[in-house]
Amino acid sequence: MKIRPFRLSLLGLSLFVPAALCAVVLFLIIYSGQAIVFNGLGFLSRITWNLGNLYSDPVTINGIQIPLGANYGILVFIIGTLASSLIAILIAVPLSVGAAIFLAEAVPELERSRPRWMPPIRPALSMLVELVAVVPSVVFGLWGVAVLVPFIGKYLAPSGNGYGLLAASIVLALMITPIIATTLLDSLMQIGKENRESAFALGATHFEVVSKVMLPMVRTTLIGGIVLALGRALGETMAVLMVSGGAINILPTSIFSPVSTIASFIVSQLDSAESDPTNMAVRSLAEIALVLFVITLAVNATAKLLTSGALSVRNRK
Amino acid sequence: MKLSTKLRNSGAAALALAVALGAAGTAHAATTLVETGSSLLYPLFNLWVPDFTAANPGIQLTTTSTGSGAGIAQSIKGLVQIGASDAYLSDGIVKKNPGMLSIPLAISAQAINFNLPGLNDKNIKLSGPILAGIYSGKITMWNDKAIKAANPGVKLPAHVIIPIHRVDGSGDTFIFTQYLSDSTPAWAHTVDYGTAVSWPAVTGGIGANGNSGMVSAAAANPYSIAYIGVSFSDQAAKAGLGVAKLKNADGNYELPTAATVGTAANSIVTQTPPDERISMVFAHGANAYPIANYEYAIINTAQPNAETATAVKTFLNWALTSGNDMKYLSQVHFLPLPAAIVTLSKTQIAKIH
Repeated sequence: MKIRPFRLSLLGLSLFVPAALCAVVLFLIIYSGQAIVFNGLGFLSRITWNLGNLYSDPVTINGIQIPLGANYGILVFIIGTLASSLIAILIAVPLSVGAAIFLAEAVPELERSRPRWMPPIRPALSMLVELVAVVPSVVFGLWGVAVLVPFIGKYLAPSGNGYGLLAASIVLALMITPIIATTLLDSLMQIGKENRESAFALGATHFEVVSKVMLPMVRTTLIGGIVLALGRALGETMAVLMVSGGAINILPTSIFSPVSTIASFIVSQLDSAESDPTNMAVRSLAEIALVLFVITLAVNATAKLLTSGALSVRNRK
Repeated sequence: MKLSTKLRNSGAAALALAVALGAAGTAHAATTLVETGSSLLYPLFNLWVPDFTAANPGIQLTTTSTGSGAGIAQSIKGLVQIGASDAYLSDGIVKKNPGMLSIPLAISAQAINFNLPGLNDKNIKLSGPILAGIYSGKITMWNDKAIKAANPGVKLPAHVIIPIHRVDGSGDTFIFTQYLSDSTPAWAHTVDYGTAVSWPAVTGGIGANGNSGMVSAAAANPYSIAYIGVSFSDQAAKAGLGVAKLKNADGNYELPTAATVGTAANSIVTQTPPDERISMVFAHGANAYPIANYEYAIINTAQPNAETATAVKTFLNWALTSGNDMKYLSQVHFLPLPAAIVTLSKTQIAKIH
C-alpha cells in the first residue's frame, strides 16, 4: 500500500482533539474513582456539602479515608447550574432573534434612506453585536456587581438582596446573546431571494414573511446557536461566582435566591479542598466536573436529535 | 515526583540562567525563591520584596497570590519554597508530612462589619453565640432579644439580618468559624471550623468572593453582616460599614485595635508550642480582641539544595527582624511578633537544610 504522508499527518492532527478529550475524561474518571465509590448515587440527590473537619484525624469508612464529618452532595449546584442557564436562554433567545431579524430585515429598509455621507449601517451594527461576544466574562461580572446587583436589590428583590439567580441569569444572558444573534443573522442572510420574493408575491405581509417563511427555514441554526450558547452558560465560572450569591446547603426558592453553579463552586472550593490530607475533597470536585461534562454532553445530544429532525412533528408521517 | 523534581530543577536552572544573563554585572547567579498562597499576606510580601532583594541581591523572590490551601499544597509538593497561609498546618498534614513547618511571620486580625442604616457609626456589641445564632439561622432579626440584651439603649431595627460568608476557601473563614466554635459549643458540634465550612442553610444568606467581594456585598445590602480581614478595614470604612465590638473570653466587648490584638497575642505567647501551631482566637486577657491569628509561612525543612535552603533561611530571618518593622506592617494593619515568638521561629528556621 502506498504511504501518503499528507493524509497520515492530517489523520494524526484530526485525532488529536478527540484524543485530548478522551484523556481529560479518562483522567477525571480515574482520579475521582474513589469519590464515585464513596459518594454513590446519592451524590446527585443530597443537598448537604461538607468538606468535614480537615483539622482532625481522618476516619476510615468502608476502607476509604475521609475527613471526619465529610459529606458530599451536589443537588444544590446542579439545580443552580440548570436554572441559571435556562433562564439565561429564556432571556437571550427573544433578544437575539429580535436583533438578528432587525439586522437582516429592518436595516436594509433604513439603508435605502441613508444619506450618502453615512457609512453602511449593517456592518457597523453587526460588528457591535459581535464585539459583545469577545468581552471577557470578568468584565460582565464586574458590571454585575457594580450595576446589576444594586439595581435588583433596590427595585426588584423583596429582601433587598440583589445577589442571586436573577443576577447570574441576566449576566449569562448578556454573554450568550451575541452567540445566538450572530449565528442566526448569518443564516438569515443566506436565505435565497426567491423564497422571500415568492412569499411577498403571494401577498404575505413583511411580518408573515419573517415569521412564516424565514424563521422556519433557520430553525436548525437557531437550535444550534442556542446549544452553543447553553454550552457557554453552563460552564461560565467567574462572572457567575461574582454575582450568584454562592449558595451552599440551600435550594433556591425564588428567582432572587442565591445559587451556586457547578463551575463556580469548583473554583471556590478548590483551595480549601487542597488542604484535605485524604484528598477526598479534590476527588469529589473532580466528580462534580464529570457531572458537568455529562450535562453538557446531554445538552449537545438533545440538540443533535432536534436538528436531525428525529423529534420533528412534520417528519413523522 | 522524580519528573516534577527534574522539571523544577531545570526550570530553576533556566530561570537562574536568565537572571544571570540579565544581570551581567553581578558576580554569580541569583537563587530563585517562589512564594505563593494567602491573599491576605500577599500585599505584605509585595511590600517586602523590593527592600529584601535590595538588601540581598543574590536572591530573587517571586510572589503570587493564590490562596492558603494552594500555599500549603504547593509547598508540600515542593513546587514553591515558601507557602503563605492564614492557618497553621493541620495535625493530619503534619502526620503525613513530618518535615513541614508552620512559621509565624506577623499577626493579623479580623473585623466583624455590619451595614445598619443610621447605626454604622455606633460600635454594635456582638458575641460569639449571637454570631453563631445569626450564621445558623436561629437569630434572624436585628431586634432579636439576644442582640438587644447586648446593646441596651441602642434602637435596633426590626429587619431581617443578611449574613454574608466567603464562598472561596479563606483564612478569614478559618478564624471566624474558630471564634464561633470556641465560644459556642452548639456551633462546634455542628459546623465546626475550617477554611471552607458547610454553612447552615439561612434564607437570604449570601456568599461573596474574596475580601473585596465581602466589602461590596455588605455595602450593597443594608442590614447585612460580614467578617472582613483587617487589611481591608480601609475599604470597609470607605464603604461606610460599621465595626462591631466583640465579646472576648473574659466577657468584655472589644474593637480590633493594635492594643487589643496585642493583648491577645501576648496571652498566647507563653502557650505557643515549639512547632508554633496554635490558635490565637478567643484568647484570654481583659481587653484581648477575640479574632486574631498568626500569619504563617509553610516551609519544607528539606530544600532541594544548600543554596535554596540558605536563601529561604535568609529571607525568613529578614522577615522576622527587618520585615517586622511597622513601616511595612501598618500599611496592611498587621502587628509585629512578640520577641518570644521570634525566638521560637528562629529555632524552627534553623531546622531548614
